[in-house]
Amino acid sequence: MNLAYKDIKHTLGKFLITAMGVGMLLGVVLIMIGVYRGMIYDAKVLVNDINPDLWVVQEDKMGPFAESSKIHRDLKNYLKSVEGVDKTAAYTFQTIEFPLKTKFTKAMIVGYDVFGEITPINPKRLIKGRNINKSHYEIVVTDKMRYKIGDKIKLLNDIYTVVGITHGTVDSGGNPIVYMSLSDANKIQFNYTNPRIRNDRARGIKANRDSDLVNTIVVKLKKGYLSDLVAKNIKKEFNKNVFTQKDELFFLSRHVIEKSSKQIGSFTVILIIVSTIIIGLIIYTMTLEKMKEIAIMKLIGIPNSKIVNMILQETVVLGVLAFISGNIFSHLIYNKFPKRVLLDLNDAEILFVIVLVASILSSLIGIYKVIKVNPQEAIGG
Amino acid sequence: MDNSIKVENLVKIFGKGETKVEVINGANFEVKKGELVALIAPSGAGKTTLLMMIGCVETPTSGKIYLGDEKVYDNKWLIKDTTKIRRDKIGFIFQAPNLVPFLNVIENVTLLSVTKGISKENANKKAMELFTYFDIAEKANFMPSELSGGQQQRVAIARALATEPEIILADEPTAALDKTRSIDVVKMLKKIAVEQNVAVIMVTHDEDMLPLCDRILQIKDKKVINKKIDKII
Ligand SMILES: Nc1ncnc2c1ncn2[C@@H]1O[C@H](COP(=O)(O)OP(=O)(O)O)[C@@H](O)[C@H]1O
Ligand SMILES: [Mg+2]
Repeated sequence: MNLAYKDIKHTLGKFLITAMGVGMLLGVVLIMIGVYRGMIYDAKVLVNDINPDLWVVQEDKMGPFAESSKIHRDLKNYLKSVEGVDKTAAYTFQTIEFPLKTKFTKAMIVGYDVFGEITPINPKRLIKGRNINKSHYEIVVTDKMRYKIGDKIKLLNDIYTVVGITHGTVDSGGNPIVYMSLSDANKIQFNYTNPRIRNDRARGIKANRDSDLVNTIVVKLKKGYLSDLVAKNIKKEFNKNVFTQKDELFFLSRHVIEKSSKQIGSFTVILIIVSTIIIGLIIYTMTLEKMKEIAIMKLIGIPNSKIVNMILQETVVLGVLAFISGNIFSHLIYNKFPKRVLLDLNDAEILFVIVLVASILSSLIGIYKVIKVNPQEAIGG
Repeated sequence: MDNSIKVENLVKIFGKGETKVEVINGANFEVKKGELVALIAPSGAGKTTLLMMIGCVETPTSGKIYLGDEKVYDNKWLIKDTTKIRRDKIGFIFQAPNLVPFLNVIENVTLLSVTKGISKENANKKAMELFTYFDIAEKANFMPSELSGGQQQRVAIARALATEPEIILADEPTAALDKTRSIDVVKMLKKIAVEQNVAVIMVTHDEDMLPLCDRILQIKDKKVINKKIDKII
């Protein structure tokens, strides 16, 4: 007869509630890990969507995201002369207060040449409408902004029409992304961010031709060319800073980890430690609660191995049930969060192993204590 | 060998120094197969401690213990696994039934036999025989909590007998029972002692039970002495 099965059956309600409670705790930990993963994923969305081989930015700058970078848009044509370069495109990136129906939100404006060679809009994310195909007054927004195709949005003194809606497009800070033509983006940048230039112009002082400046030129290579090699050539020839896609992804995750995920990351680690301790304590108390039953069994001559097996089996069953309910719980609630929560089965498995090891350890400590106790005292004989 | 239990110069001291408690100091006695022996002494005199030493639960301070033809203690345990001795030789009965709450009645009684490798059918058959004998056959599949105190105690006695031990150690088995039930239980223990050739030591405070026993051992001045039955009554 399986003692673990009999014991669980006898206290089924309590056992299930404990398993679910532990499961919910695990679920919260999984969500928290998911928030962390989500932040890192979000940080890379834009860079992954554009997915070039090289990022050319201003000399000595870590841009375009980690540091601001200004570079002449015509460079995209000159770069064509470099061996191995296939396609090029110029982009601007700027964060502005963007109007929603009733309030404002921080949004990342991505300006790009709508007739250019590399579109920043990932076709997989475009869930409604189309790409921009006019050089003025068309924009693509993300679904979270709650606009519909055909909606008119007033920015400064111009009216823009929503022509496409994307899903899941955010910048490294989790802000939604708005796509528009390079010239529209330049106009907005000029008016939003350069009050000094605006004032100068109003006073008749001729400003720099800011509209010719962009933040980066991205490059796609012909087949068979190595990013590092072409990057070196561009650096030398044009005296610009050049990063590979790999560099850029690395900067972004490092940047976002240092900026905000570190906070979330440490919190997640603490949460994992605390929950592991709590789960360990629950299992430990569960084991000690069986002190009397175990004492009786020991007194009548049941071998220790059988008792240890019973406790360990119960611990494993509890762990598995908690793991399952924790996963169900986290999958039920993860999309209720405002920002991306990325649930990763691999994380869940690692967490499962950590929790199981902790549970088995604490039940072993409990068993050790219970087995050592004088059975006569335990039953109060 | 006729002796089922033999104790020589047994000493038990709890604690050290200031808090030292000398409970048993030089006990010598024997219990033969087929004997029902009462163990009497005032509360706190060391009856339970003595039973627990014989049952290999409590470690003596010094002395010798023989169970059957095996010397199990000689200033130290001579066997590694004391639970095995209990499993093989000893049936315990306590004042409280101490049934395992998550096992039903028949599982409580067959647990040890099955652990010892006896087939489930044989263990169940033996248990049912005992239940019939104890008049609790219809409760076989009940949980302990569904039984009255007296019924639970009978299950506990059945459990002690199920593995057909050579020795039964009963610590105030009738304390929670009424007079009629108590007499029944003691008579039953006597019957088992005779029929199955078992040595039974029964701790009791109930003088009415003493005439049903073969012999009386009394703990006096930290030693164990023989008492004539009629002298006590
Ligand atoms: N584990 C222990 N530690 C210290 N003293 C103990 C312990 N167990 C029993 N004693 C003492 O030993 C004496 C005998 O106890 P016990 O055998 O339970 O007596 P009885 O069963 O005759 O009432 C008591 O004085 C008790 O306080
Ligand atoms: Mg006692």
